[in-house]
Amino acid sequence: MAERPPQQPLQPPSEDPEGTLRRQTGAKEQPIIPDLLSLPAGGLRQWAKTSLFGSTKDTILTVVFGAILGYIAYRAVVYVFVSARWEVVFDGPLVAYMLGNRFNQTGLSHVNVWAAIYLLTATAGLIAGVSRANGNRTPLKVALKILAAPIVGVMAVLAMTRTITPALLVLGGIALFLVVRTAVPRLPDAVLRRAGWISMGLTAIAFFVLTGGDPSNVDKFGGLLLTIVVSAGGIVLSFPLGVVLALARRSSFPLIRPIAVLYIELIRGVPLITLLFMGRFAFGFFLPPGTRAPGVIPRAIVMITLFTAAYVAEVVRGGLQSVPRGQTEGAQALGLSPLKVTRLIVLPQALRNSIPALIGQFISLLKDTSLLVVIGIPELLGITEQVLAQLKFKAQGYQPETYAFVCLMYWIICFSMSRASQRLETRLGVGQR
Amino acid sequence: MSDLTADKLRAGALKPGGTGEAIITLEHVDKFFGDFQALKDIDLVIGKQEVVVVIGPSGSGKSTVIRCINHLEKHTHGRIVVDGVELSDDVRNIQEIRRECGMVFQSFNLFPHLTVLENVTLAQRQVRKSPKAQAEQEAMDQLTRVKIPEQAPKYPGQLSGGQQQRVAIARALAMQPKVMLFDEPTSALDPEMIKEVLDAMVELAQSGMTMIVVTHEMGFARAVADRVVFMADGEIVEVGTPEHFFEDPQEDRTKLFLSQIL
Repeated sequence: MAERPPQQPLQPPSEDPEGTLRRQTGAKEQPIIPDLLSLPAGGLRQWAKTSLFGSTKDTILTVVFGAILGYIAYRAVVYVFVSARWEVVFDGPLVAYMLGNRFNQTGLSHVNVWAAIYLLTATAGLIAGVSRANGNRTPLKVALKILAAPIVGVMAVLAMTRTITPALLVLGGIALFLVVRTAVPRLPDAVLRRAGWISMGLTAIAFFVLTGGDPSNVDKFGGLLLTIVVSAGGIVLSFPLGVVLALARRSSFPLIRPIAVLYIELIRGVPLITLLFMGRFAFGFFLPPGTRAPGVIPRAIVMITLFTAAYVAEVVRGGLQSVPRGQTEGAQALGLSPLKVTRLIVLPQALRNSIPALIGQFISLLKDTSLLVVIGIPELLGITEQVLAQLKFKAQGYQPETYAFVCLMYWIICFSMSRASQRLETRLGVGQR
Repeated sequence: MSDLTADKLRAGALKPGGTGEAIITLEHVDKFFGDFQALKDIDLVIGKQEVVVVIGPSGSGKSTVIRCINHLEKHTHGRIVVDGVELSDDVRNIQEIRRECGMVFQSFNLFPHLTVLENVTLAQRQVRKSPKAQAEQEAMDQLTRVKIPEQAPKYPGQLSGGQQQRVAIARALAMQPKVMLFDEPTSALDPEMIKEVLDAMVELAQSGMTMIVVTHEMGFARAVADRVVFMADGEIVEVGTPEHFFEDPQEDRTKLFLSQIL
């Protein structure tokens, strides 16, 4: 099991005189995506001289495209800071964008939301602290990176409100994160070892607090809150299902493999939107007669989960194939049972190899939640219709601002997720053994 | 050459060396990969505390023999008995035999996501259910035996090939096996690292461990082996002491092979 060696300090990298570890994570020196902000060698002037104005043709191209780009940038700046009417976001509707229009009908207050955010922040702090204590080797870091992005997104926007309270609460959240992160490594070992369970527990409590103990309240959520709940639900459920499907697809038992293949190929051959319609209108056919169908949103989560799981399964299958046969043989030769060979040797390596592709899959899951608008669920994109229908904003051409804002929201979340995946990739040295 | 001489040359395969008490018995073992016959009627008896070196050209089936012994490959016909337990398809039976047979691979097959110490304790904890402290003590003992206790907290990727192979030996030894199987343990190593691995194996042989070693290291065979088995085309061609084997080989195929490599 992945327990720490005795008397072994918590930071393997320090004792590495030959620099072998650095070689292992060599990708840090050569990022896959070049850093756009770093200056080219020889200084900006030299670079401009050779690259932009090296010949007459280059000069013409530079001037023409420079003019075009400059004009676009100018119009963008003017739009954002002068002509755009951002009151469609900030003058009232912001709460609707965040929580939806029917949040008040749940009888819950913003306190529930903030309490949930704080619990998740503390969880993130816990995970960050633990991975610090373990010298960044723990897969918990993955969970942190996925969690952190949405939380930061929520906080950033709540901070944009006109009153001071949300900003203070956000600062409080950041402080909480830092305090927990610093405090965690000092906790007893028994707590650290159970950090995975504790963070799962905290997340469950956060969900309980958010819904006030009644999960059916989710049906009255909307806006970004709903987008995050649906995405998080989809990610948390589709990941284990996908792993099971991937293992089933490699199983040597007679019936299991064909069933997994059938499921995966069936789901991958159907657009998500049709599955969502099935969930909306045909879900009842699959339930025993007499049972009440779950709410619209749980059904949507189920459909998104079923859809994503098929793709996760293929990604994980790729990861499984990337683990050399010798690993299985080495583990078998030690007398490990087939189950333990998979659980302790093959799967951890396969999942580590699959991280980049998995996060890509989860980013597209998050973006795919915008399809819920088609079946009438007011998530982040769907809520715009309701905001634009308000008397104050109706028929006054507020669409550009509205959609620009929604784009920005999606972008913040997705971009921070993809950055997180890149950092992880470098840290875990994916592709290098 | 008559069949009679051939039988005589292979008769040595049936007489266990070491203490004279058989620990591994292969009787009429055949192995097919599809239509291809990798092993043809292998008869071999290994004695307790005996060191048997298996040599032969590549594709001769020597690796397949030891992979059949711990059921990484399933033999098609014949019997394989390890320490009184006959190898069958039963998973428990296979695991029991694998516990008795430590195996060292050409490509090390260390687990890259675990530290050296975790590599060596894993099977003790999971298979033997040893308490953590005891498993770690055993691991450190075995790592000390192969002279790399200081590498315990590192990851395999941080070690040299020779060090990795020694970890692999310690990992197998930590399970207290009755037999050690070596599948070309030095073939993937840089020349300067071969010696440190061979030294560990020599020490092991001197301690009385039963070993079956598939190797191209003739020096090792000459110095350490009790018996040398020469295989070609899936058959045991000739068996004998190193003296017999290197000084006075009988079979043409053996002579040809030795002339090519020596």
